[in-house]
Amino acid sequence: MKVIDIKEVHKVYDEEEIAVKAVDGVTLSFDEAEFVAIVGPSGSGKTTLLNLIGGLDMPTEGEIVIAGTNLSTLKPSGLIDFRLNNIGFVFQAYNLVPVLTAKENVEFIMSLQKWSKHDRELRSDELLKAVGLLERKNSRPGKLSGGQQQRVAVARALASRPKFVLADEPTANLDSKSAATLLEIMEKLNHGEKITFIFSTHDPRVVKMAHRVITLEDGKVVSDDVRE
Amino acid sequence: MKEDLKIAWRNLWRSKRRTLITSSSVFFAVFFAVVMRSYQLGSYDRMIQNFIESYSGYLQIQHKEFQDNPSLDYSFDYSDSLFEKIFSVKNVVSAAPHIESFALASSGNQTKGVIVLAVDTEKEKKFSNPESKLVKYKITQRLINKLKISGQFHESVLKKLNQVSGNSYSSTSRLDLDLDLSEDERNSYMSVILEESKATNRYLSNPDSGVMVSDKLATYLKVNVGDTVILMGQGYHGASAAGLFPVRGIIKMPSPDIDNKLIIMTIPTAQRFFQTEGKITSLAINLTGRSAGVLKRSRENISQLLSDKSTLVKTWEDLNPVLVQQIQGDSQTGMATLAMLYFIIFFGIFGTVLMMMAERKREFGVMISIGMQKKRLKRIIVTEMIMMGLIGLIAGLLASAPFILYFYYNPILLRGELGKMMEDYGWDAVMPTAWFGPYFYWQAVIVFIMILVATLYPIRKISKLKEIEALRS
Repeated sequence: MKVIDIKEVHKVYDEEEIAVKAVDGVTLSFDEAEFVAIVGPSGSGKTTLLNLIGGLDMPTEGEIVIAGTNLSTLKPSGLIDFRLNNIGFVFQAYNLVPVLTAKENVEFIMSLQKWSKHDRELRSDELLKAVGLLERKNSRPGKLSGGQQQRVAVARALASRPKFVLADEPTANLDSKSAATLLEIMEKLNHGEKITFIFSTHDPRVVKMAHRVITLEDGKVVSDDVRE
Repeated sequence: MKEDLKIAWRNLWRSKRRTLITSSSVFFAVFFAVVMRSYQLGSYDRMIQNFIESYSGYLQIQHKEFQDNPSLDYSFDYSDSLFEKIFSVKNVVSAAPHIESFALASSGNQTKGVIVLAVDTEKEKKFSNPESKLVKYKITQRLINKLKISGQFHESVLKKLNQVSGNSYSSTSRLDLDLDLSEDERNSYMSVILEESKATNRYLSNPDSGVMVSDKLATYLKVNVGDTVILMGQGYHGASAAGLFPVRGIIKMPSPDIDNKLIIMTIPTAQRFFQTEGKITSLAINLTGRSAGVLKRSRENISQLLSDKSTLVKTWEDLNPVLVQQIQGDSQTGMATLAMLYFIIFFGIFGTVLMMMAERKREFGVMISIGMQKKRLKRIIVTEMIMMGLIGLIAGLLASAPFILYFYYNPILLRGELGKMMEDYGWDAVMPTAWFGPYFYWQAVIVFIMILVATLYPIRKISKLKEIEALRS
């Protein structure tokens, strides 16, 4: 089942009156439970494409349809709600809420969705167990290592049962052991929760584990390899 | 909401030092604003109280021309029935008939224009009680020399006595305070000082052909009890008034301005002196309070009792426009000082807001990206700012309350040059705080509004925040 449909999307930035084409006529689609890596050199448009898919930025041209909804038709507040209910985010710099514990960070998304306390607790325990941090659930981000924080971020991204998770260079700040653990967890969750994961990455380990690898260059898709 | 409060509270303590600095600035703003205003209003209360309760009264029945032209020609017929009727009006505490005029007072080579106030000795006791203002102790150079010659007094005590030389006191406590003796000095010398400085004074009897002279005027005229003053003035319908009046007592008036120029005599004596048989110039009335409502209602009710259409009821504000203007002018200066204080504090709070927004822009971007509505984020930030402000605000109010309470009951009595300077301005050299009133809450409200104004910046910033830019910051 098609989750994301990107049609002829362009994104042009005006930098000092010079038009820079960050994404140049990209057409792609993503199905349920895919594990996709978007690769390419710096400046190739990976992060811009992820931002466009995540509704954090709007395309200059073209359309992005997620689960039947064209993002450009949504009002700003509607777009925020749409992200809340459909998209999970994992950022390179973890970006957990520093004043909340690991458990509270995971529950935060669910509280925004107005889940009951009981359901929130069940789900957060389930996810923290899945990422191997149940025993650290009451620790604040400042007391967790980078790898642990990123695992909490993954649990948070999955908490709302999104249609897909966008992960922008999730292993960039992690040592190899933490990165490997994180990737294993994400792959397991991809299988278990049937959630699509889309990474932008330079990390060969991520590329190696991906089921599909999309290569971008100068904002254009130059290859789209699906692995069996 | 509970979740928002939790996040806001925890955010508050993320940067403890900053929160404490900001809350402290709010604390000091509230504390100084409340205390400053309390002292200011307390001093005004005192001034008004001194003037009203010891002289003019809260309301006065007068001839309608008397204030603009304070001539005895504008006196009116007075009967005891009017006096009795006044007491049927709610909020009336006391009343006293007065004849008030001007005269030249002379003794030896000294002459001065004075206010002659004629009173009903018994009724006046319940009104302004001049008897309590009789000078009980007088520190003169002669007394100091006598004590020095006796050889019993320590040099330090004589020095302190020299500092209050020429002063008169109607209470032991004020003399004690001005002398500022140590415990030992007080035990050894105070009883001797009180005994030696005791003044022989008496209140006017009824009838009495004598007068009481205010302390500073007596000093100027160089008269004492038993001496005689000559009064010359104009009586009713242009008749000349002149007479010799023995001094029965010296009184210390709380208002220094009045203390410089007051002579009190009985109404029958004044009626003979001014030839105003059966007439008075005012009937002064004291009320339970001087709130606008009490004044207005009492004035209306008393006006209805007046059968003489040439008379009317005036409030203390009508009677003392100079005092009212003086207070208004001083109050505006105080308000300007407070405004400056608020201005400085506002920028302290605003600085914190600016820093917070710069530091947490990325965090806000993340929160909105993952699905938090901007209005909820704004609510959290506003809650955070309000909590920060409330800590300082409540602490400021709590800290100022005992301060106000203490100095309300134990006002600062100004000594030395500062005290003299205030008295020269016609103000009482006493600084009490004002009892808790709207000013107390209003300072808090103003600071709270300042905090709310400061939150407009983050609200605007969050409204305009673009997730993508915030995430890149």
